[in-house]
Amino acid sequence: MSIIFSTMSRLFFVLMLVVSLYMLFRGHNEPGGGFVGGLIAALGFALLALAHDVATARRALMVHPVALMGAGLLLAFLSGLPGLLSDRSFLTHWWAEIGSLHLGTATTFDIGVYFVVIGGVLCLIFRLYEEVDQ
Amino acid sequence: MSFEWSILMALAGAAIARPAATYLGSRTGWVMALVPFVIFLTLFQHVGTIAGGETLIVQSSWVPSLGIDLAFRLDGFSLLFALLITGIGTLVTLYAGAYFADKPHREIGRFLGLILLFMAAMLGTVLADNLIVMFVFWELTSLTSFMLIGFDAHKAEARKAAIQSLLVTGGGGLVLFAGILLIGMELGTFSFTEVLARSGELVASPWIGTIVVLVMVGAFTKSAQFPFHFWLPNAMAAPTPASAYLHSATMVKLGVFLLARFDAVFADVPAFGTTLVVIGSITMMIAALQALRAEGFKAVLAQSTVASLGILVMLIGLAGEVAAVATVGFILSHAFYKAALFFCAGTAIHATGEASLRRLGGLARFLPVTAVAAILASLSMAGLPPFVGFISKEYLFEAQLTNDWNIIPIAVAVIVNAVMVGVAGVVSIRPFYFKAHRVTAVKHGETPGLLAGPLLLASAGILIGLFPNAIGQALIGPAASALHGSPIDVSFQLWHGLTPMLFLSFLVVAIGAAIVVYWDAIHAYLRDQHGLYRLLGDRGYQRVLDAVLGAARGSTRILQNGDQRRYTSVVIATVVIGLAIALVAGPAPISIAFPEGVLRLPLVLVLVLTAAGAIATVRARSLIAGLVCVGIVGFALAVIFMLNGAPDLALTQIAVETLLVILLTAVLLRLPARQKHSRTSSERRRDAMLATGFGGVIFIAVASMSAIPIDLRLSDYFGETSYLEAYGRNVVNVILVDYRAIDTLGEIAVVAFATIAAWALLRGPAAKPRIKE
Repeated sequence: MSIIFSTMSRLFFVLMLVVSLYMLFRGHNEPGGGFVGGLIAALGFALLALAHDVATARRALMVHPVALMGAGLLLAFLSGLPGLLSDRSFLTHWWAEIGSLHLGTATTFDIGVYFVVIGGVLCLIFRLYEEVDQ
Repeated sequence: MSFEWSILMALAGAAIARPAATYLGSRTGWVMALVPFVIFLTLFQHVGTIAGGETLIVQSSWVPSLGIDLAFRLDGFSLLFALLITGIGTLVTLYAGAYFADKPHREIGRFLGLILLFMAAMLGTVLADNLIVMFVFWELTSLTSFMLIGFDAHKAEARKAAIQSLLVTGGGGLVLFAGILLIGMELGTFSFTEVLARSGELVASPWIGTIVVLVMVGAFTKSAQFPFHFWLPNAMAAPTPASAYLHSATMVKLGVFLLARFDAVFADVPAFGTTLVVIGSITMMIAALQALRAEGFKAVLAQSTVASLGILVMLIGLAGEVAAVATVGFILSHAFYKAALFFCAGTAIHATGEASLRRLGGLARFLPVTAVAAILASLSMAGLPPFVGFISKEYLFEAQLTNDWNIIPIAVAVIVNAVMVGVAGVVSIRPFYFKAHRVTAVKHGETPGLLAGPLLLASAGILIGLFPNAIGQALIGPAASALHGSPIDVSFQLWHGLTPMLFLSFLVVAIGAAIVVYWDAIHAYLRDQHGLYRLLGDRGYQRVLDAVLGAARGSTRILQNGDQRRYTSVVIATVVIGLAIALVAGPAPISIAFPEGVLRLPLVLVLVLTAAGAIATVRARSLIAGLVCVGIVGFALAVIFMLNGAPDLALTQIAVETLLVILLTAVLLRLPARQKHSRTSSERRRDAMLATGFGGVIFIAVASMSAIPIDLRLSDYFGETSYLEAYGRNVVNVILVDYRAIDTLGEIAVVAFATIAAWALLRGPAAKPRIKE
């Protein structure tokens, strides 16, 4: 592995995470969203895995990808419950206005999508490259 | 209590049977028999009301969006069936408790649970007024029958018979379902009461022929009519209490029940009655021959049951009041004597461990009461006065003589009834009183549980015969009226005077007596006619089954050969062919329009890049190189999206493309070294052809799609409301997380579960214990 690639990968990793979060949160009004954000974040971790090894990427992720996927699914599911309570309609979103910013359970839902995508992609990539490393 | 609760009570009984058996032990039969008995009493309360000419209908909503109500109907005919089901069910439960006395208590519980579940299904089928509800219960009877035939699952023969009955009756059920759906489509209702009221409308419909055939096939499979007559004798692999209940007294009569119910609806369909008479007669003849040939105690009874079902089908095919009375009377008398005879057969076989009639004899010494019950029941079966069987046979002949049918069906009926007399004599005299093949020891004697059923049923046969008017007024009259569609004044009498029917009865008894005397010779002769019986048996079924399994094996060999590339090719080829067919056959003509000013210079440059990538992919020998070239195409596509004002798509495309290359490279690296990951020339040619076909079809589809004017209402609606209602300007994202959020939730759930499955599969080799070197 070239030293330039492995050094730059750390930088790119951080950059890609930041971009992915930016994509996630601006998604409601501009191109972006949980899905693309999740893909970019997953790419960041994949970069770490390629430049160093899977163990490094796993450490950076901190949780197991399958657990992340489950958490995302749970989050998306939970985001529908408030609407069920207030309007008797699952996934009818709640909104709160903070200044000019609208935040609501739709954002929680999108974060859920984000986690599912990261977890799903990474659990396959990690598994596949672990085998190659051995 | 309202009558429809009987079904729930039976279900509750089925649920508690198993735990109850572990507590009650040997008393299980006696205690659990209370369940059907209480239901019997509940239903019995309605006899007066129904005999007064009323029809009870209750309904509650089930699937309102499809027009399906949980509707139940109690009229004379369904009440007769419901009473038979619960009455004989009580005796079967009692008998089964004693029959399984030497088995572990768990077995009794399991058996009684199935019997009671079956009873609930039967009650549901005969009481349901909604055709869909009836179908659901109808299929439940097929399923429980499957479980009961295969009850001794360790026997290969029982498993085979169970699958055969399930395939035949379950398949017939599906055919019936098609008929029901057609009726619903034509009339817009599934309510039987309404179908009955609007039968003229149904008969006038162009689909009536199809509907009649579908309903008939459903009924014929269930009631073992030709050409589906073979499964019932094989179903004798079930424990005898189940045979007595399902395969003689109740379930197999469901087909008859259905035909009788629809007789009022289809009465004006030209060939309906004729077909029933012909099929019934053929079935009768085949079964009569087989009954003479069979040597197992239960097998002989089973064949005579098939013959009886044939008689019933023939009777339904005949028109008029007398035919309706004859049908009902025969259903009743047959249920009584046949269940009793099965009980006696069960006791004899269980006590001796010997199932063949030719090796049973002199059992009356050991089973005296059973022998008496068998004699009484078979006298009713033979149709001798003063048994109820005599009355029903008189009606059978009267129904035939009053219809303008020619001599053939009458001759068939005489022969078949004579064989019934012969069978009755053989099964009651041979095993119990015959001197030859005397049984010298039995495993167990008679217990009260083994006697209650046959004795009660056999004596009921003579009691009804002696006092026919009571049951005629209370049950047979109302049932026949319900069948006939208008009130019938029934005089169910033992003595009709010196009529042609009486002469026919004499003839029947005379021939029957001759059959009893010469049974050995006839039996031996018929057993030598192998060719004939191969024709009448279940060879056709076996052929069809083998062909289906062969086709399944063959297609699996071709489609599932273990090569991933083959699977992908098959999937893509299917998509190409499907799309091509849809394009050619679709309503919109294929038109490829080239809008003006599309070919801007940047776009042309990117397109050239895309094409170059595609060509390189096709030509690449190494798989890795091919992968990289596919990547070029993908990124070029992203640029095209970008140039056409779809930044969302472009962004996603780039991310997906990158990940795809990373993932596929890993997969390739993991593959076993297969000639340096390369393709041969012929493989490349085939792949190129597939890819070209796929691309071509997609191109035509997209091009002709953009030629069709687009309905923009939805897009406009989302565009206008997305910020006002969901506070987002990115319409795509708002649709994903808000308008159609539940779809997205479903999709991410599918992605998650599919990924977990793939992940679990990938674990395989790594999880293996490593061998230390």
